[in-house]
Amino acid sequence: MAVATVAVEHRARIRRGSAVATLARRRFALSARTPREIIVPLVNPVLFALVIAPALNKVIGSFRPGLDYVSYVAIGTIGLLVPINTMFAGLGVIVDRAEGAQRELVSAPVPRSFVVYGNLAVALLTTTFQVVALIGFAVLRGANFVTTATGIAWFGSAALLFAIGSYGVAETLANRMPKQEEYIGVVPAVAILPWFFAGSLFPIDTLPRGLAMFARVLPLTHALALMRYGLGVDKIGVGLKDIWGMANVQAMAGLSLLVIAFFAIAFTRLAVRVFSRAALR
Amino acid sequence: MARRVNGGSAAIEVVALRKTYPGEVDAVKGIDFEVCAGEVFGLVGPNGAGKSTTIGMLTTQVRPSGGSARVAGFDVVTDAIDVRRVSSVVFQEAVVDRSLTGRRNLDIHAHLWGVEPRIAAKRIVELVRIFDLEAVVDRAVGTYSGGQRRRLEIARALLSKPRLLFLDEPTVGLDPLIRHELVDIISDLRRRTEMTVVLTTHYLEEAERLCDRVAVLHGGEVVGMDTPQRLLATLGAELVELRVDEDPLYVIDVLREQRVAGEDAFAVGATITVPMHRRRTSRALAVIHGLDLNMTSVSTRKPTLDDVYLRLTGDRIER
Repeated sequence: MAVATVAVEHRARIRRGSAVATLARRRFALSARTPREIIVPLVNPVLFALVIAPALNKVIGSFRPGLDYVSYVAIGTIGLLVPINTMFAGLGVIVDRAEGAQRELVSAPVPRSFVVYGNLAVALLTTTFQVVALIGFAVLRGANFVTTATGIAWFGSAALLFAIGSYGVAETLANRMPKQEEYIGVVPAVAILPWFFAGSLFPIDTLPRGLAMFARVLPLTHALALMRYGLGVDKIGVGLKDIWGMANVQAMAGLSLLVIAFFAIAFTRLAVRVFSRAALR
Repeated sequence: MARRVNGGSAAIEVVALRKTYPGEVDAVKGIDFEVCAGEVFGLVGPNGAGKSTTIGMLTTQVRPSGGSARVAGFDVVTDAIDVRRVSSVVFQEAVVDRSLTGRRNLDIHAHLWGVEPRIAAKRIVELVRIFDLEAVVDRAVGTYSGGQRRRLEIARALLSKPRLLFLDEPTVGLDPLIRHELVDIISDLRRRTEMTVVLTTHYLEEAERLCDRVAVLHGGEVVGMDTPQRLLATLGAELVELRVDEDPLYVIDVLREQRVAGEDAFAVGATITVPMHRRRTSRALAVIHGLDLNMTSVSTRKPTLDDVYLRLTGDRIER
């Protein structure tokens, strides 16, 4: 086996967008080889939207006149779907570190934060697919959504920022936990527990006072209230009023969006910081 | 853009480089060395000597606790991305995307290192042929043998035509046949490229065959550094090796009293190695046989780099 003459060369810096796109394509290629990563997180929320919500609606009816409970729960299940999916995506980080090419990626001439952004891009892509699928299933099962440009903007912004923040949490935990087993152990606490308090299946004003206060600081509570307001499930913003207690719905929606944006920015920054530190021994 | 220094003659400059891990573990204790452009430089030493930590600092994967290191003129702390831009690493353990094909692994490296797609495609064809990966390159890397995966990793590192190539224990864990094959590959690289290569190994025959110079690391310090030939010359042309059934340090003292051994005689386990230098081997053997020592064997042989290595590191372990 002969080795050809290899001359060294000078190379230009790679463009930032191009590097992130390469890292995202890589992550997507890895995820596409394990489709269960995309399908499994969808199962429980779809079951909630298709089976449990209509059944509850039939048995107990809606808790508020004019509110369609099937649609209410369909949005509520997005609050289960997004964290579960992003936590699943975080598993890929641990696999990369333990038996993948993470060390090769962090020895590449690009900022290490790009690895996180590449992973995030694919987590958002799969989350988008899953949310669209969930909404589609819910509509087929009888959910009613009102789609206006402004409403979709509220819904989309809330879902996107919540997914970004959730992925930040997942990536942070994945880089702090040495083993998959430990990581999987915290999934219920991180991805599922907040869902019970965030107004997913019932309004937060039905919770005891202390728990309602707790619910108000959860980004998920803000995301769900805003998504319901955006898609016309809660046309007058009762969910937002349960949080803020104000009269101006637009102002409350804006404040909730700020809370979710803060959640997204804070945890993305934390994820980048933790990843960069973990990569640098 | 970071500053370039030194006119390009020194590919690597390491000054008082130090790494202390949490728990006050001093992995590297202030080492100094330079590697010239185009040189193949070996870091040898036992496990825990600080080889991989040193490579880690030079490849910006380990943050130094003190001192400085420049790679191609770029500081490993302040110009880390520039250091990575001009270098590639082959890691001790397999660092590949196993579920992706070999070609995809190569493609990703080419993109991240900024190799133009047209040039990358051409180089991939060339490297795949050179490294005999044509039959497997479109298969998932998880199906590769250890040797194929190692060849892929070296091909990947060469794809960006780095000015510096770091090989961290490139042959560790491979069977002897594959090891031999890889040493051939690296040896060819050494002959045919302008690249500066830094490799760590604890296989001394590899270092002897591949390296222009080697630094022997022990306990986080450089305890010897020179060309393999000069290091070998420190032990003279011949040495006597004794296996004993009693305290080897006592035996060394006896041999020194008898002027058979000098200060550089050393013991590793029950084996004592005595460099002869200018002493006559026949006289030494006669004296040794005349002593009342519990020996199981006495032999003579030419020194190897293993002996240098053990001289510099082994006796310290024993004492």
